Amino acid sequence: MSSSGVNPSDIDMDLEAQLRDALRPVAPSDAFTQALLAKLSARSARASSARESHRSQAAGRGLPPTRDGERVVRLARRVPGWWLTASLAASLLVAVGAVQHLRAEHERARGLEARREVIEALRVTNQKLDLAYRVVRSQSSAMAEGDSGV
Amino acid sequence: MFRLRVVVFLLVPVLAWAGPNPRLVLPEFAALAQKATESVVITLDPSLLAMAGRFLDGSDPKDAATQEIIKGLQGIYVRSYTFDQDSAYSQADLDAVRSQLSAPGWNRLVQTRSKKTHADVDIYIMVVDKAAIGLALIASEPREFTIVNIVGSIDLDKLHKLEGQFGVPKLDIEAPASAAGKSK
Repeated sequence: MSSSGVNPSDIDMDLEAQLRDALRPVAPSDAFTQALLAKLSARSARASSARESHRSQAAGRGLPPTRDGERVVRLARRVPGWWLTASLAASLLVAVGAVQHLRAEHERARGLEARREVIEALRVTNQKLDLAYRVVRSQSSAMAEGDSGV
Repeated sequence: MFRLRVVVFLLVPVLAWAGPNPRLVLPEFAALAQKATESVVITLDPSLLAMAGRFLDGSDPKDAATQEIIKGLQGIYVRSYTFDQDSAYSQADLDAVRSQLSAPGWNRLVQTRSKKTHADVDIYIMVVDKAAIGLALIASEPREFTIVNIVGSIDLDKLHKLEGQFGVPKLDIEAPASAAGKSK
């Protein structure tokens, strides 16, 4: 027995009764039930009208009517395909442009190298012609000096 | 070298039979190229000459003169090697080229021998129907030798224009008719 004179088993019984009372099933009010039913019927009507509209569009494009899951898969397949074609075409264009650019650069480099070689070849030729000229000049001047000395 | 001489020996009669050919068969000089401190190897065939012509600026006097010179040419071939010591090459190395210049059509325009500098220069020209269609130049010095072969219709007036264009003084090269004389 406790010092306050209250039996613990009485307290337990009271708590249990309170909980049972709080958690007892309660029927919803009529207003709540009607509002819920109205909302559900409105949502169902919207979904069915959207499905109907998609079916009629698909029929217009010659596509067979599909269920929602199939439609999503089909769209998912079609959109990347379009992008793939576009990106392939763009990549091809870029590649062709790059090849053309590289070819032009290569041609330009070859042309400039050929130009440099022509100038170098003429420089070497000139140098050797000058060497021949100097030898001829020095020999003829030596001969002239020899003649004048006689 | 022996193999090259055999090839040249076999080629010369064939080329002589085919008619005068101003294009010389220039050796590779691979062994000499390894020993050389400086080497210039230029091979310009007709397509490269045409390409070079497109990259020459006609408004620039030097480029315009070069354009004028290469207009009638079909090839320019240069082999030039410089060594850091005397006698790095032998005259036998040049004989393979010299022997080709004994073929019909080639005329020696100039031959110079300097006892002072030991610089020898031979200039040959190939004339067909009174028109120069090829030029060959062999210059040998103790530490350097150069072979130049120009193929095509060479106008000696144009050659005069070439002189003095690249910082080299203007020369007095005579046309074949008035030159020192045909020595072959």
